[in-house]
Amino acid sequence: MYAVRFHGRGGQGAKTASRILGTAAFLSGYVAQDSPIYGAERRGAPVAAFTRFGREPIRERGVIAYPDLVVVADASLLEDPAARVSDGITDQTILFVNSPLHAEQIRTQSKLPGRIMTLGVTEIALQHFGQREAISALLGAVAARLAGLQQEPLRQAIARELGDLGVAPPIIERNQTVALMCYESVQVMARESAAEPATRATIFHTPVYESPCRGTARISASGNSVLRETGGWRTFRPVLVADKCNGCWLCFVYCPDGVIAMNQDDRPVVDYAHCKGCQICVHECPTHALVAEREQEGGVAWTAK
Amino acid sequence: MDSQMMTGNLAAAWGARLADVDYIPAFPITPQTEIVEALAKWCERGDLAARFVSMDSEHSMMTAAGAAEVAGARVFTATSSQGLLHAFEVLYSISGWRAPLVLVNVSRALAAPITLESDHNDVLAARDAGFLQIHAETCQEVLDSILMAYRIAEDERVMLPVIVNLDGFTLSFTREPVSLPDPDMVRRFLPPFRPSHLGFTASSPQALGVAVIGGTSYAYFRHQVHLAARNALEVHREAAESFHALFGRRYDLVEGYRLEDADDVLVMTNAGASKGKAAVDAARAQGQRVGLLRLRVVRPWPAEAIRQALRGRRGVAVLDQNLAPGQGGILYQEVAACLYHEVLRPQALCSFIGGLGGQNISAGEFQAIFEQTAEAGVAGTGLGPVLLYSAEEHREMTQLQMLAGGNA
Amino acid sequence: MWQRETFKKIKQIPREEHVLPGTALCAGCGGLEALRLAAKVLGDHVVYVNAAGCFTMLAAYPYTSFKGSWLYTTMGSAPAGAQGVRDALDVLIAKGRLPKSEDVKVVVLGGDGSTYDMALSSTSGALHRKLDFYYICYDNEAYGNTGMQLSPATPYAARTATSPCSVQHPAATTQEKKDIFEIWRAHRPPYIATVAPRYPLDLEEKFVRAAAFTGPKMFLALSACPTGWVYDPGETPEVAKLAVETGLWPLKEAINGVVTHTYIPKRKPVEAYLKLQGRFRHLFEPTVQTDAIRHIQERVDAYWQPVTKEQA
Repeated sequence: MYAVRFHGRGGQGAKTASRILGTAAFLSGYVAQDSPIYGAERRGAPVAAFTRFGREPIRERGVIAYPDLVVVADASLLEDPAARVSDGITDQTILFVNSPLHAEQIRTQSKLPGRIMTLGVTEIALQHFGQREAISALLGAVAARLAGLQQEPLRQAIARELGDLGVAPPIIERNQTVALMCYESVQVMARESAAEPATRATIFHTPVYESPCRGTARISASGNSVLRETGGWRTFRPVLVADKCNGCWLCFVYCPDGVIAMNQDDRPVVDYAHCKGCQICVHECPTHALVAEREQEGGVAWTAK
Repeated sequence: MDSQMMTGNLAAAWGARLADVDYIPAFPITPQTEIVEALAKWCERGDLAARFVSMDSEHSMMTAAGAAEVAGARVFTATSSQGLLHAFEVLYSISGWRAPLVLVNVSRALAAPITLESDHNDVLAARDAGFLQIHAETCQEVLDSILMAYRIAEDERVMLPVIVNLDGFTLSFTREPVSLPDPDMVRRFLPPFRPSHLGFTASSPQALGVAVIGGTSYAYFRHQVHLAARNALEVHREAAESFHALFGRRYDLVEGYRLEDADDVLVMTNAGASKGKAAVDAARAQGQRVGLLRLRVVRPWPAEAIRQALRGRRGVAVLDQNLAPGQGGILYQEVAACLYHEVLRPQALCSFIGGLGGQNISAGEFQAIFEQTAEAGVAGTGLGPVLLYSAEEHREMTQLQMLAGGNA
Repeated sequence: MWQRETFKKIKQIPREEHVLPGTALCAGCGGLEALRLAAKVLGDHVVYVNAAGCFTMLAAYPYTSFKGSWLYTTMGSAPAGAQGVRDALDVLIAKGRLPKSEDVKVVVLGGDGSTYDMALSSTSGALHRKLDFYYICYDNEAYGNTGMQLSPATPYAARTATSPCSVQHPAATTQEKKDIFEIWRAHRPPYIATVAPRYPLDLEEKFVRAAAFTGPKMFLALSACPTGWVYDPGETPEVAKLAVETGLWPLKEAINGVVTHTYIPKRKPVEAYLKLQGRFRHLFEPTVQTDAIRHIQERVDAYWQPVTKEQA
């Protein structure tokens, strides 16, 4: 069995990519299975999806603990502990990262084991579609290549899955073309099966009764959501061009997450640890004093605690 | 202590009054309505310093009840049957909030077909909701159980809501003498409600009933509800002793009736157990060594007390006043499960279904139960589920079907 | 002519935040923006009683975005939860078990799915009982938390996951948006207002005005939704602005049932609003559905005709 785990952010199409791979494997005559994790997380938050295929009936379900291949749709996920990208990765795992950086740079920054390879899929999407989030077919294609699937079932799988989402036929065709370009751009890597660690019977640690103060789903900490940093959701960050700012407060007022504060001089200070990169401030700034800058991939621009 | 004639419903209202509750959200439903009518009157007159609010549905009523309880008030409310099911999702929320309110359910069979009289499918549907359940046999026990329910519910080792159940009509509308406990003594029995984990105040805010992501947290918190319910076995014992010392009446998890030398034992709950006791007396008079075990606390499940009572018997019959379609009697399953590892388990465990929708259980039917259970015990093979349905009832039913124009 | 008395300038908007970041809500959420601005007037001495919806994620173990309190109830009974909390606080204060200084405001948060559908009975009950509480409906015109399905708040011709375009229904949603404002108003609560986050001073002023009333204080907040309405998250204020400027989302209040429009837009053609959003794209591509667009325009015109006549 070949097991592929996709990591993305809500809206990037990790689930669709896993389905494209699942359908491509199915059309190739394999037994296939794919599933997403549905959290209550929204657009921008870390999500994961799983595809398994093989010649024998698949007796696993749910989360893939020991993947053969990990596809990372957004390099900032490598830095985000909530994404759990590194789970179960060994020296044998193939780790594909959507990034324009070289594999070695990613390896140095992330310190992850595994055989890392990269391709700037977002740049390709921006170039061909003008949209940074239209990468599901491209990621599916990369995964299909690395998993050893052929082009034709991949083409059909893209058509089926994007068609199911109501994507118009001309756009599906463009996706197929660009996806096959991505397919050709990655080198096949031979699968190296790592022996799964031997399991042992779990030693149970059954909880005992606690006071309802602790034993109830209640939060007495005040406003502690700030401990959850959402800065990694951004693809673009708002940056202040200070001499253009007229101190009007509109960016502060319109920010849904309340991550812009006005300083003593009425200049905005952005809390980049939490700014989700919605760009409202950039859109609404009457003097264009806030501009959107592409986040530098690989965790350079934003580092989790 | 003065004693007076009152219905089970009025006894329930008196339980709330003596518990000095703060808040009563209400919604009418037969056969419960008399409870909230009495409470409305008392609140209006100032006999009870509680706020009474007429709600727009049982779903809203239970939500308001739970929300007021988590805000720090002692809450009482009552419902029945369809109303309990209409509020069903809220029951799980309230136990998850660990809100120790008391809900009286007046049992009534569930639609369809719609009907008014009692059986226990309503209250037993809620058996996994995280509420404790006390099923009362007499009007006195209704009142006393409500006082005990608050004491147990509000104990820091429990902090769970409780349903006190009474049968519609056969208890709710039946008057019998009830001794009213002295309010000062009730205050000694039931300390003021000052929960450490509840309350919404300006100076100590908290988020309650919050979402959890993933099974680790969910399993932990629901398991805490389980542990709290298990703790209630011991807390009930303490409350029962204290209640006995103060008021002279003793209530245990289960009640044995003439069990000492009984070969065969009939297991029942609620008000129907009174008739079961009469049947035991009648059978005893005929020389049959039979007894009755009444399950009073159904949640937490008093497995050890049941094992002790049924150990070494020849035949045991569980008379369920409920029906799980495709399975049989609900309590039969639970009794059977807790006897599985008992070395001296009864020779035969028999399942009878009776009293559905308030259907009468006759003396002759009890006699048949005892006879069949004795035979099963001798043979060492179980029996049932057997629906108690006489030839006469069958004839009546055939006539009704004819009138309804039902074509064969 | 309606005038703001407290909030005259943008810089009067309080700096302090009461809904803290780190939420799991979508980037660019118009509902969160409305709540954040509302909370600047409501403060922290609040218990939010939440109905199932997108906002459920504002308090997800072990994190809360609030410095005040929170109670998650059910989808259909948050107003009843507010009733219980309010009554309990009143009783505890009356009995001397809670100092008056510890009192908190009770604020229901419900999406349009809850508000327009399942919780309507519960809301009606709370209104009828004159419960002293705030109700904030964050209206993103569909069941958003489940992925944008049709709700009674969905406007005519919006495409949702359960009201797709088809040969039989080329304009997608066929029914009109339920008028929850008028349903509320029929109960004659002391205060009702519509708000839109792109009009922050109007919003803040209304929360200040509402505070003067005892009883239900009802808010219907336009919650432009980039995820469900399919537009770029940065355009949330623009979409909200066009909803108001086209007249589709009237800014108004009703005090004891008497309606005042707090802003009279010059009324741009509705296309300006519709064109921004993917949920209306089928009205323009592949062919322009002139009848459907005209229908929307006529409904807006019909709404404003008596209002403008009255103004004149």
